[in-house]
Amino acid sequence: MLHASHNDRRLLRPAPSTGSIMRWVIVATLPGLATMTFFFGLGVVSNVLLAAAFGLGFEALILRLRKRSLHPLNDSSALLTGVLLGASLPPASPWWLIGVGMLAAIVVAKQLYGGLGHNPFNPAMVGYALLLVSFPTYMTLWSPPQPLWPEGLWGQITGSASLAQIDGLSGATPLDAFKHKGAGVSAGDFWAGQPLPEGTLNAWRWVAVAWLAGGVLLLAKRLISWHIPVAMLGSMMVMATLLHGFEADRFASPWLHLFTGATLFGAFFIATDPVSAATSQRGKLIYAAGIGVLIMVIRTWGGYPDAVAFAVLLMNLGVPLLDLYTAPRPAGRPPAPAKERS
Amino acid sequence: MARTFEFHGGVYPPERKQRSLVPVRHATLPSHVVLSLDQHAGRPARAIVAVGDRVSVGTPIARRDGMISADLHASISGTVTHSDALAITVEGDGHDTWQRLPPLDWRSVDTEPLLARLEQSGVVGLGGAGFPTHIKARLGEQQRIDTLVVNAAECEPYITADDLTLQGFAGDVLDGAQLIASLCDARQIVVGIEDNKPEAIQALEHAMATSQPLPVTLSVIATRYPSGGERQLIKALLDRDVPHQGLPADVGVLCHNPGTLLAALRAVRDGEPLVERLVTLTGDALADPGNRWVRIGTPIATLLEEAGLQRATLDQLIEGGPMMGTSLADTDGVIRKATNCLIAATRQELPPSPPESPCIRCGACEDVCPAHLLPQQLHWYARAKDDDKLAHYRLFDCIECNACSYVCPSHIPLVTDYRSAKTRLRHQRLEAAKAEHAKHRFEWRQARLAREEAQKQARRQARLAKQTSGQPTGAQSTSPQADLRSLRIAQTAAKAAVRKAEKNLARAAQQDPGESHEDLETQLATAQENLRAADAHLADARNASAPQETR
Repeated sequence: MLHASHNDRRLLRPAPSTGSIMRWVIVATLPGLATMTFFFGLGVVSNVLLAAAFGLGFEALILRLRKRSLHPLNDSSALLTGVLLGASLPPASPWWLIGVGMLAAIVVAKQLYGGLGHNPFNPAMVGYALLLVSFPTYMTLWSPPQPLWPEGLWGQITGSASLAQIDGLSGATPLDAFKHKGAGVSAGDFWAGQPLPEGTLNAWRWVAVAWLAGGVLLLAKRLISWHIPVAMLGSMMVMATLLHGFEADRFASPWLHLFTGATLFGAFFIATDPVSAATSQRGKLIYAAGIGVLIMVIRTWGGYPDAVAFAVLLMNLGVPLLDLYTAPRPAGRPPAPAKERS
Repeated sequence: MARTFEFHGGVYPPERKQRSLVPVRHATLPSHVVLSLDQHAGRPARAIVAVGDRVSVGTPIARRDGMISADLHASISGTVTHSDALAITVEGDGHDTWQRLPPLDWRSVDTEPLLARLEQSGVVGLGGAGFPTHIKARLGEQQRIDTLVVNAAECEPYITADDLTLQGFAGDVLDGAQLIASLCDARQIVVGIEDNKPEAIQALEHAMATSQPLPVTLSVIATRYPSGGERQLIKALLDRDVPHQGLPADVGVLCHNPGTLLAALRAVRDGEPLVERLVTLTGDALADPGNRWVRIGTPIATLLEEAGLQRATLDQLIEGGPMMGTSLADTDGVIRKATNCLIAATRQELPPSPPESPCIRCGACEDVCPAHLLPQQLHWYARAKDDDKLAHYRLFDCIECNACSYVCPSHIPLVTDYRSAKTRLRHQRLEAAKAEHAKHRFEWRQARLAREEAQKQARRQARLAKQTSGQPTGAQSTSPQADLRSLRIAQTAAKAAVRKAEKNLARAAQQDPGESHEDLETQLATAQENLRAADAHLADARNASAPQETR
């Protein structure tokens, strides 16, 4: 029977759907999450599960309030935001911290702007930045490597553990430690002094490698293009190498920048969020290079040791302008169409 | 083999050409045909037969109206049983008697009779747009054409009509190309074909050896949709960029599809007007797929039944390819001059698209856009009806190839959105120009009245000149010589105006074959009236001064 209308569209082959893209990105986070869990304990898993649950819950709530169908939950984008924010938080963050972060991410940054595809800012990074500014103590407490089921895990998650208790369990991240080593201490002396609990640097390196593996999977599945990771990591490395070459005692080595903190996670999983990134290839290169430069600037001269979230959010601000000025030249058009614009 | 170049973007849909790659057959002669009057770009043709008239195959039944339009011929012999403003129905007598025009040897005949022959034979582009071939061939008069491109890419999945045309008639197609190339003064012929047609390539290589007088180059390009788009093919073959709002002719190129070239050759060499074409019948709902020679106007239902249509499994019927073709709501239509393919698809082979979800700006569409646009930005602004932004992001550069819709993970019907935005903008432009168009129509009426008056005057003068021959009549004109001179100048100017109007119309119609170009047709008609009036004035003045001159 024929029941086709004039514009009935058909599939020539089963195309990947938005939902399947989101789920593949979640799959690609698994190596990173597993490695983090291995080194930092099940607090990582609790973060991710809680954030994902909050994500889906808030998304459903808002869709209800907006009197929309719950169908968009199938696109798994809220789930992905939860996984990404959960992976960014210090392991075993208290449930209310995660809840506040996801509220900012899903409700404020995403749904209030119109839902998937309409958010100018990366939702997970909005949540992260809000928490970092509002609850700096909780957000800077990264534990050193831990057993799988660390002591006091339950207390931390439920929020019944006091700050002092948590403080006793946590330490500085390598970047944080280097930043606050003091101006008089040379880099060599600093590292020779075993500034971090044993295995910390090693753990961060392995985690970074695992995120890199997930990123390679994303590239191989063509879920992201090379432009953003390459431009972001490239600009960071160039800047870090120059600074380190200029004064090695003051500026951390490029390797420290690359393999600790959220650098690789950010390059493959955060900056590549298509919704809040620039769209043209040239725009992506500029956008990502800008993120890399901002990360280095904030890490070096700013108040925060990591800075991926702020760098991404700042470049999100520039995306409309980038999109306007990097529109590719349509076929058959003379070069430099920017002059035509009024 | 010639060097090839790359165009931006493109996609690799499944080809699905194998099922229709079987030997070509002739479809059974239909019992009746419905010949619609608008099977070509431009104005519909005007019927010149009445109900009850007997026609043979090739009898002209409708004449072109205006410049961009085409003649139409009976495709079976029989009786005209119905005729209205839209279509003419011919009931067949089963005899298939032909009415052919005298054969012409294009190598020894002048350009004008050849162009006239193409025009009288109703040959239009068979690739889809249905643009009158003789108009395209005349482009050489206005612009320097150096290369005739034979567009044998046939990049759409399923379709094999050009492939089998070349497998069977490579020599004739190249001969047709030589014919068209000679009409527009081209210096070389380049055949562009995708590498998934080895047999056609072989046939072409064989035919190229003897094709003359112009050198023929064969360029085998990688199979990638939409390599058969005019701009994409010209880029791939010649590394030339057709300018925005320009025509291939602007970079010295003319593009024709093999079927059109074959039809052009047959019109000239055999005196056969365009009454049949090769149509690919395919899709899993057909038991007996393949390519058939089908008379224009054959009912689709009869044709599909003959090809073993299984109505139970038929889910969607597509005219054209799956990327750019249109869905037909039923099987009630007929084969038209531009119908190259019918796909009777089952639900399994072309499942319905899942519901649309929001754009996540993933950029997949940008990567595949052969026009190098930003489809997602266009999507945004098309939905928001932001016309300035649509212009900024070059909505009208979109060739509607559907590559973006094909890759969109959110299953957004992008091209459908662009089409409706384009329609809306065209409508706005038309509204804005309404007053101007009314003015042009008024000018045309004035010009017609003036021309009629001038012709009347000329006839009167001619009579007068005859009656009073031998007697001087120069009294009414003080200086007949000066008068004649200014009239000659006026006539030359009127001729130039006609040429200019023709050029404008031909360009506009080629750029947008699917659109109405009524206003430009009106302007051309005005220029033609003015020319006729100038002719009449001149004749008038000559008659008036003739007696003096004979003294």
